[in-house]
Amino acid sequence: MKHLFLLFFFWGCTLSAQNTKTKQDSITVLDAVELKTIAKSKLETDLKKSVTVDEFLASSNNISFIKRGGYAWEPLLNNMSTERSAITIDGMHVFGACTDKMDPITSYVESNNLSSITIKSGQEGGQQGATVAGSIDLKRKKTMFSDQETWKGAYQTGYEFNNQQFFNLGNVSFSNTKLAADGSISYRKAENYSDGNNDEVNHSQFKKFNTSLGFSYKTSALSAVKIDAIFDVAKDVGYSALPMDLWLSRALITSVSYKQLFEDKTIKLWDSKLYYNTVEHYMDDTTRPENLVHMDMPGWTTTYGLLSKVKLQKDNLSSEIQLNAYDNLSIAEMRMYPQDYSETTMFAYSWPWVTTRYVGLSLNNALDISYNSQLNFGGSLGVHYNYSKYVEFNWIFHPGAPQEKTRLLPSLFANYNVQLNDFDFSIGGGYGHRAPSVSEGYGYYIYNSFDRYDYIGNPDLKNEVSYEANASASYKTEKIKIEGNLNYFYIDNYIIGEILSMGSPMNYQSVGVKGYTSLDYATLFNAALNLEYAITNNLHLNGTVTYAKGQDQDQGNLPFIRPLSYLATLHYQYKNLNFQTSINGDLEQVNYSPQYGEDQTPGYTIWNFSTDYTFRIKNKKTVFQVGVENILNTYYSTYADWGNIPRMGRNVFTSLKINL
Amino acid sequence: MFKPHYVVFSCLLFVILYFATSSCTIDKTDYEDELTTEIPEYIDYEEAVKLSIGNYNISIQALNGTLYTGYNDIRLTVTNSSTNQEVSDVDVTLLPIKTNAINETSSGPHQYHLNYNNENGYYSGYVVFPNKSDVANHWQFYIGITDVYETLTASQDINVAEQSNKNLNMTTFLGHDNDMYYIALVAPQSPKIAENKLVAGIYKYNPPANTSTTFPDPEQFSYSEVENYTLKLDPRMPEPSMGNHSSPNNKDLIQEEDKLYHGVVNYTMTGNWTLNFILINQNGKIVKGTEVPTDFTPGIEGAKSELFIDILF
Ligand SMILES: [Cu+2]
Repeated sequence: MKHLFLLFFFWGCTLSAQNTKTKQDSITVLDAVELKTIAKSKLETDLKKSVTVDEFLASSNNISFIKRGGYAWEPLLNNMSTERSAITIDGMHVFGACTDKMDPITSYVESNNLSSITIKSGQEGGQQGATVAGSIDLKRKKTMFSDQETWKGAYQTGYEFNNQQFFNLGNVSFSNTKLAADGSISYRKAENYSDGNNDEVNHSQFKKFNTSLGFSYKTSALSAVKIDAIFDVAKDVGYSALPMDLWLSRALITSVSYKQLFEDKTIKLWDSKLYYNTVEHYMDDTTRPENLVHMDMPGWTTTYGLLSKVKLQKDNLSSEIQLNAYDNLSIAEMRMYPQDYSETTMFAYSWPWVTTRYVGLSLNNALDISYNSQLNFGGSLGVHYNYSKYVEFNWIFHPGAPQEKTRLLPSLFANYNVQLNDFDFSIGGGYGHRAPSVSEGYGYYIYNSFDRYDYIGNPDLKNEVSYEANASASYKTEKIKIEGNLNYFYIDNYIIGEILSMGSPMNYQSVGVKGYTSLDYATLFNAALNLEYAITNNLHLNGTVTYAKGQDQDQGNLPFIRPLSYLATLHYQYKNLNFQTSINGDLEQVNYSPQYGEDQTPGYTIWNFSTDYTFRIKNKKTVFQVGVENILNTYYSTYADWGNIPRMGRNVFTSLKINL
Repeated sequence: MFKPHYVVFSCLLFVILYFATSSCTIDKTDYEDELTTEIPEYIDYEEAVKLSIGNYNISIQALNGTLYTGYNDIRLTVTNSSTNQEVSDVDVTLLPIKTNAINETSSGPHQYHLNYNNENGYYSGYVVFPNKSDVANHWQFYIGITDVYETLTASQDINVAEQSNKNLNMTTFLGHDNDMYYIALVAPQSPKIAENKLVAGIYKYNPPANTSTTFPDPEQFSYSEVENYTLKLDPRMPEPSMGNHSSPNNKDLIQEEDKLYHGVVNYTMTGNWTLNFILINQNGKIVKGTEVPTDFTPGIEGAKSELFIDILF
C-alpha cells in the first residue's frame, strides 16, 4: 500500500515538473466531451448552500433515508435498501465494511469533492452493475485543461448551532494545456444534536475528515491519463439507534484512467479505468457501559476493478458500451468478551471472508426516432461469482451449501420519450436480476437492532428478479412546470429476513434468529408529483408530493416504505439577497409493517427558512448564508428512523463560501 | 521558478500519504492459527510405553506419545527379540490398573483383547483413564501374550497425564439403573466453527460375580461398550452473557460399526460450550440426564443437564 502511494507521489511530482506552457490546438476537443459528462446539478439544495452528501441526496424525489444517528444515512432508492441499488463513485464499486450498515458508500465522499450525483431509476442504472432499484453514481470533481494557466479555489466554512457542527471545506484546482489537477480537504466535527424537546440525543456526534486529489495529464491532443485518490476518515461517530458506535472508519479510493478521443469516426471515446479501494471499519461499544457484553466488531473490504467504456455515434443512434468488472473481499469479525475476562473470548466471523466477483457488459442506446421522440434501450449481462472461504460457518444453518456460486444476471430496459408542444411523455419498462448481497448470502449472526433479530445469510438464495414499468408526463411553459412520475416494480424472489424456527440468538439484545429467504414476490409502487411555478421573476414556488406502497405476496406491507410526503419551497430573490422558506413532512404512516419490526409513525410537518447574500471581497465572489431548520422545534421521528430516534430540533445554520 | 500548484498538491499528497500509512489499524484475526495454537491437534502416534515379556519386546504407541486421562486410542507392536521380527500371531491382552494410596485397585474402560490390524500391522485397542497418575494414584499396564506355547504376563508402570484439551473430556456417573457409566469424547480434537462430527465412547462397568483370589483378574475389571443406546445432545454456551445460546442442526449420537457413538455438534463461535446429554438405553429408558431449558436468558448462566461435558475451543 505504501509503495502504491509513493508511486502516486512521484508521479505527481514528475507531472508537475513537466508542466510547460506549450499550446495545444485540440484541447477544446477533449474538454468538449468532458463537458457533456458534467451534470447540471450543483451540490446544494433549495434551502441550504453548504450541505452534506446525505442532505443533498435527500433533496431527490426518489431517495429516502434510514437514519441510525446523525451521520452516514443509508440511502433508499425507490424505497429499496442499498442491496438493491448500485452505488458507485465515478462508476467504481466500493463496499461498506460494516455489517450493521453504518457506512453506506455515500459516507466516504464529501460535498466539496463531488461535482454531481447521477441517479438512475430501475434498470436504466444497470450500466453500473446489476441492480433492481437503480443506480446512484457520485461524480468526482474534474478540472478541465485550459489554454491559460488557471488557478481556482474555494473555501467554505460554517457552523450549525444545534449540534455545534463546525465545518471547513477547501478545494483548489489548477489547469494548463497539459495538466489539470484538483484537490480538496475537509473536516467536520459535530457534537450530539438535540431533539424538539431540547433533549440531547446521545451518541449522535461525529468527526469526519476527507481529502481527495486528482491529476490529469494530456498524453496527446486526444488522450489523457488521470490518477485519482480519495481518502476519508470518520472517527468517534455515534449511532444513537444502534447498540454500538464507531471508533474509526477509513477508506482509500484510488484509480488510474486513460481516455482516448477519436475525431470523425463512429467511435467517439474510449475511457478505461483501473481502480482499487479499501475500507476498514472498527466499531466501539466501550461508549455504552450499559451493554452486557463487550465485543469487538471490525470489518474490512478490499475491491479491485476495471471499467472500460466506448461511446459510439452513427447518424441518429448513439451508444455506449461498458465493461464493468470487480473483485471484492469482505471480512467482518466479532469477538465477544466474557464477563470474567480471564475466560477465553468468543469469536466468529460475521462475514466469513466472502469474495464477490462480477464481470458485466452493458449496452445503452439512444435513438432519435424523429425530431421530437427518442427511444432509449439497452441491457447488460453480468456474471456474478461468490466464494466463502470459511463456508463451514454457512453450513451451520445451511448444511451442504456450496462454497462457490456463480450466477448470471441479465438486464434489459427500454424507454420511449416524446415531446408534443409543451408536453413531454415517457413510458418504459425493464427487467433485471440481482444477486444477494454478502450479508444476505453469507452473513452470520448479524444483529439488526431495528427488529432485534440476528440475521443469517443463505448461500442458496435465488436471484431477485425485477419487472418494472415506469411512466412520466410533464407540462412546461415559461412560468410553470408540472411533472408526474410513476414506477411500479414486481419483484420475484424478493429477499427479506424471516424468523427461523432453529438456532438461538448470539447477541444478547436480540430476540431470535431470522434467515434471509425469498418471498414469492413483492410489489412496489412509487409516485411523485412536482410543481415549479414562477409567480414573478423573483418569486418561485416549488412543490413535491411523493407516494409509495410496497407489499409482499400476501398483501402485507413491506418495511421502510415512505408514507405520503410533501415538500414546498418558496424562493424570493431581491438583488443579491435570496430568501427561501420551505415546509416538508410526512403524513401518518398508514401502511406500516409490524411483522418486520415497524410501528406506526405519526405525521409531522417541519418549517424551515434561510437567507443568503452574495457579495465580493477583493473581487472574490462570496456567499454568506444563515437559516433555520425546524423553526418550530417540532419533536418528530420519521418512519425510517431506526429505533424511532428523534430527529434534530430547531437548528440555526450559517455558512460562508469564498471562491478564490 | 516558484510553482504554487506543486506546493499545494504535494501538501495534499503528503496529507493522504500520512493518514493512509501512519495511523494504527487493527489486525485481522488469524482464525486458523488461533484454532491450532489454542488446541494442538495430535495426529502422530509415538511410543508411550515399552516393555519386554520373555522373548517379546512390546511397544505401545499413543497420540503424541502420551497417555492422557479420557479416551486413548492405542497401537501395540510385538517384536520377537531373537529374530527382530514383528509378530502378528500372538494373542495380546491389556489391562490397566490403578492403585491408590490405600492399596485399592480399580481400572477404566478398555479393550482387553487387542485386535491385530492386518492392514496397518499393529494391534489396536483403547483405554479410558478416569484419572491421571499422581502421588496417590499409580497406574500400571498388565500385558499378557499368548503364543502357541504359553501365556506370558508382565506389568509396566505408566504415566497418565491430565488431558488439557477439554474437547477430549470424559465423565463418569451412576445411571438410574445403578450401573456405572463412562462417556469419553473421542473427536473432534480441534473443533471448528462448523458442523463437527462428534464421537464418543460410552461404556459401563460390569461388576464381577465373585471376588477373586488371583491378581490381576480381568473379571474384576470388566467393562463393555454399551450397545444401541442413544446419547441425546443439546450443546449450549454457559457464559451468562450468551444467554443459554445454542446451535441448530445438531444430531444425537448413535452407535456405529466401530462401536463408538457418532453424532453432529455445531459450534457457532469459539469459547466455552457445554454438551448437555441425555443417555437413553436400548429400551428407550433414560439412564441419566435431564432436559435443559431452551429459553434465551441473557445475563443468566444456562442450566445444565445432570449429565454434561464441558468443552472449550
Ligand atoms: Cu459498524
